[in-house]
Amino acid sequence: MSEPVSSRPSGSWRGDSHNEYEHLTPLFHELAGATDGDPRRPRLRDALVTGHLPLAEHIATRFSHRGVPREDLVQVATVGLINAVDRFEPSRGSDFLSFAVPTIMGEVRRHFRDASWSMRVPRRLKELNLAISSASGELAQRLGRAPTPSEIATHLGLSQEEVFEGLEAGNAYHSVSLDEALSADSDSDPLADTLGEEDSALENVENHESLRPMIEQLPERERQILTLRFFMNMTQTQIAERVGISQMHVSRLLARTLERLRQGLLSEGDEDDG
Amino acid sequence: MSVSEFLPGKEAEPTSPDSHDPDGIELRLAARLEHLPIIRSVAANLAIRADFDLDAIADLKLAVDEACSTLITRAAKGATLSCRFFLSPNEIRFAAMVLSKSDHEPSRDSFGWRVLTTLTDRADAWVDMNGSSPDGRGPLVHIELAKRKTLGE
Repeated sequence: MSEPVSSRPSGSWRGDSHNEYEHLTPLFHELAGATDGDPRRPRLRDALVTGHLPLAEHIATRFSHRGVPREDLVQVATVGLINAVDRFEPSRGSDFLSFAVPTIMGEVRRHFRDASWSMRVPRRLKELNLAISSASGELAQRLGRAPTPSEIATHLGLSQEEVFEGLEAGNAYHSVSLDEALSADSDSDPLADTLGEEDSALENVENHESLRPMIEQLPERERQILTLRFFMNMTQTQIAERVGISQMHVSRLLARTLERLRQGLLSEGDEDDG
Repeated sequence: MSVSEFLPGKEAEPTSPDSHDPDGIELRLAARLEHLPIIRSVAANLAIRADFDLDAIADLKLAVDEACSTLITRAAKGATLSCRFFLSPNEIRFAAMVLSKSDHEPSRDSFGWRVLTTLTDRADAWVDMNGSSPDGRGPLVHIELAKRKTLGE
């Protein structure tokens, strides 16, 4: 698999956007000066994230047309942006963009590494799969549930056989080496709104002492998806809408997370034999 | 042997390896984790062709993965994993078994069991203490699950 994302930001967007975002700089100082309980904090953070969104979209756009849905890339880049806003320390003297661009790119790069075509899949099938993915998002909105392959076929004007092919091609779309999945993830966090719920739900699971640290080590998004599916019983389509990524991506992340947890429990020994 | 919530009111499908269902699909493979993608893609393929919705297709795939992982980690050395799919118009049923090194039933309080029951409409697991399998006699661990079409719910 080739590394599709260069680690060096090229100048094209940075040069112009530097000025474009300069008016936001004072907000960072204000945010840094606000204490944790300060009611201004969430408002400032929102303003900073929203104000810099074009930057995330820019970076996402730059890496679209590489077989990953643009909506997924924008979402991933936005996660990177939020991380950057939360971690940026204006007192250190560097400017936000030189901090944010590598952070956002890192998030996008990680996404490519996690979600790329693992085998040589013909271009036609990749495009078919992408078309199906975005059609299923639209149809889910309209129907209020996940569509069936035949509904997708009708919507796209394709034969059922073509939709089958495109969906099956999706099986080759994930390169989930366990090493990658297990590598420590420093990019976790700020969206941790589901932690409390999974905590109480876990109490009823017999191997929760060994599971809890493994779940805590998951990247934030994976942990959130796991919780929504298995502790709050949401469907993948509902989760996709809530998290802002495609259902197919939710499916891949869940598969990977479960595999990772199984491996982790296995190496702990057969505790579920109880 | 224990059979609980599985299939109330329906004819119990025989799960012994020598019974034949002309419409069933059977896979036998070495009980090794690297074979999981094969079983998973058969499951997905059947659900796609049965026109299950995308959530149900994904759920069935994950559930089959989970069930087979559980069996494989309990398998006796060199054992064969037998997997069967039964198709009916609104449901896919999956039954898998393996000769085990232990006579413990898969636990119903584990996280894996929660995963399995969340993903499926029915799930059951039991041990046939003196079952006969292609690998000889011994404790046979069974897991069965069923996924219904969720259309229009």
